[in-house]
Amino acid sequence: MTVKPSNKTSQIDQEILKLCNDKIDSFLDYNDDISVIKREAFKRYSKKGLPNRFEESWKYTNIHKKLQNIPVSDKNYPIPLNVDNFINSFDIMSKIKSDNDILIVFMDGQFIPELSMLEYSKNGIEINFLSHGDVPRWASELMINKHNVNEDPLFDLNTILMQEGVLINVSANVKIDSNVYIIHIGNNDGFFNYRHVINVGKDSHINVTELKVSNRVNDALYTSSVLWNIGDNAIVNNVKYQAHNQSTVGFNQQYADVGSGSIFNSFTISSGSKLLRESRNISCNGENSEVSISGVNLLDGESHIDTTLVVSHKAPNSLSKEKYKSILSDRSRSVFQGNIVVDQIAQKTIAKQSIDALILSNDAEHDSKPELEIYADDVQCGHGATTGQLSDDSLFYLRARGIGEDEARRLLVHAFISDVMEEIQDTNLRNVLRDVMNNMLNRVSKGRLNV
Amino acid sequence: MFEIKNLNASIQDKQILKDFNLKVNPGEVHAIMGPNGSGKSTLAHVCAGREEYEISSGSVGLDGINLLDLEPEERAVRGLFLAFQYPVEIPGVASMTFLKSALSAHYKFNGKKELTIPEFMKLIKEKSNSLNISDDMIKRPLNVGFSGGEKKRNEVLQMTLLEPKICILDETDSGLDIDALRLVANGVNLLRSKERSFVVITHYQRLLDYIEPDFVHIMADGKIIETGDKNLALDLEKTGYNDYIEKDI
Repeated sequence: MTVKPSNKTSQIDQEILKLCNDKIDSFLDYNDDISVIKREAFKRYSKKGLPNRFEESWKYTNIHKKLQNIPVSDKNYPIPLNVDNFINSFDIMSKIKSDNDILIVFMDGQFIPELSMLEYSKNGIEINFLSHGDVPRWASELMINKHNVNEDPLFDLNTILMQEGVLINVSANVKIDSNVYIIHIGNNDGFFNYRHVINVGKDSHINVTELKVSNRVNDALYTSSVLWNIGDNAIVNNVKYQAHNQSTVGFNQQYADVGSGSIFNSFTISSGSKLLRESRNISCNGENSEVSISGVNLLDGESHIDTTLVVSHKAPNSLSKEKYKSILSDRSRSVFQGNIVVDQIAQKTIAKQSIDALILSNDAEHDSKPELEIYADDVQCGHGATTGQLSDDSLFYLRARGIGEDEARRLLVHAFISDVMEEIQDTNLRNVLRDVMNNMLNRVSKGRLNV
Repeated sequence: MFEIKNLNASIQDKQILKDFNLKVNPGEVHAIMGPNGSGKSTLAHVCAGREEYEISSGSVGLDGINLLDLEPEERAVRGLFLAFQYPVEIPGVASMTFLKSALSAHYKFNGKKELTIPEFMKLIKEKSNSLNISDDMIKRPLNVGFSGGEKKRNEVLQMTLLEPKICILDETDSGLDIDALRLVANGVNLLRSKERSFVVITHYQRLLDYIEPDFVHIMADGKIIETGDKNLALDLEKTGYNDYIEKDI
């Protein structure tokens, strides 16, 4: 009997490598910054390929199990081109958008000017697009810096394939109460790659809300990376809401460098997705910087959401707070890996991490892996993780007052996430997202979530 | 009328209630006293529908309906109220939301028109004032950060709002100082009426100074072993349970 040697590279690895190869060919003759980093990224990526479970940071997430092929489009759904119709049909947008907001809409990897509103760009905000050729110097520098220290093959993949994205440069001392929305809509099947770069000048204040939704049930794969560079004494409120269908696979990367005395609040709601990897790398580079990274994950069906977070303290007196809550039903699985690194110089760091999961079915699974790497001796760092079901005592108490079982479960599931929602700074946005969550949770509390 | 007949209940194969019988007519107040482990709290929880207990036989009737056939929420809307010994703290559930949900469920069952928000707020304010419950307390998440006394007052507030037919008070006096005890007892006394009856479970006679019972029962080893009037509680305070338990054996 002969044993057929197993083919070590799977179909998806081969398809992606071929795609990268084809893509890189078109950059071979150019020597601009972007072409150079694309070629370098390809050199690195082709050696490593997609991560597998033998790597520590991918221990709980098996890409190959969830992704066999690059999705291709067999139909071509047209873009819904009327901006008012679009906003109205998009429930959250219609509730939160105000007249002065900046709206940047992407669909299936393309910027859609017809659906976007850039006319409200104020003095002090410069908006460019990756696809428009000349990438401004500040943006390419930030990309090169990240590229030079990168070890994540998915970021390399994103660098090779990035086709579109917004480059926002906020000058110093710009205070904006209105919101900048970056919206990704999946309208067709396919593989899409976004790269956004946001530079916030010192003493500036900006709110950036990212929305990622699937317009119809489609088979989509995407990578998306957002590079933040936040100057000194700036305030950034970032909220991300992503609700995908059960066939979307997404790899998100967020990098943020936070300057002295600056505040970076980032809140994420994720739901659905066949596989979603939220990889975040936040760095308190300046003294007295404050970072709050929090979010809610709602999982049902066979969803798999992996949040992998590295928070680095590189200067004294900085503060970081991580707070995540996951609600799981059906056969879903959530993973949280949170690494806090405190450099030797970063004395008086305060870093806190709290990860809670509520499991509503017998077949769901949650894995938490906190890691602390502390090289300074005068710090306060702590982490806590809980995983559990709804409390029988609480359920009984509510039912003993006449509240039906479904309603009692609903109240308790809502209660589970109520404190973390407070991390959303904008009250209007918080209320709207709370309503959205309520609707989702009403279904999840009965064991089904339908996004 | 509230009537428990030949009730046998166990938990994890340990029998707790043994042929327990009790009949409570409308308007009556019955006190059940007994040593630790006699089954008093089990009785309260079995009546309210806690699932962990296995009931091998017997019935708990309220106006002719066997409550044991019903879910806890159905027992509640039909008029059974258990004041918990340890009211549960539920972070994230606002007290107001909870009270509104509970009240709505009762109104719905009784075919009454649901209160508007202003009507509801007015009702809460009125009822909470008489129990010295502050606005601040009502605004907090359910029982979270409440002192022992506040939790028990909150139980009485719920009882007042839900207007049950039969109230079971499970060691409502535990953990209360004398002022809080008086306030809680006063709240209960205000609810006494010809239609409403009470089963007051307590270790100590002290509560019965404030809530005067029509009957006092001594419970031991899962059943009532002695019944008398309020003087029985006074005797018990002097002699302790042992005399009665030994007599029974």
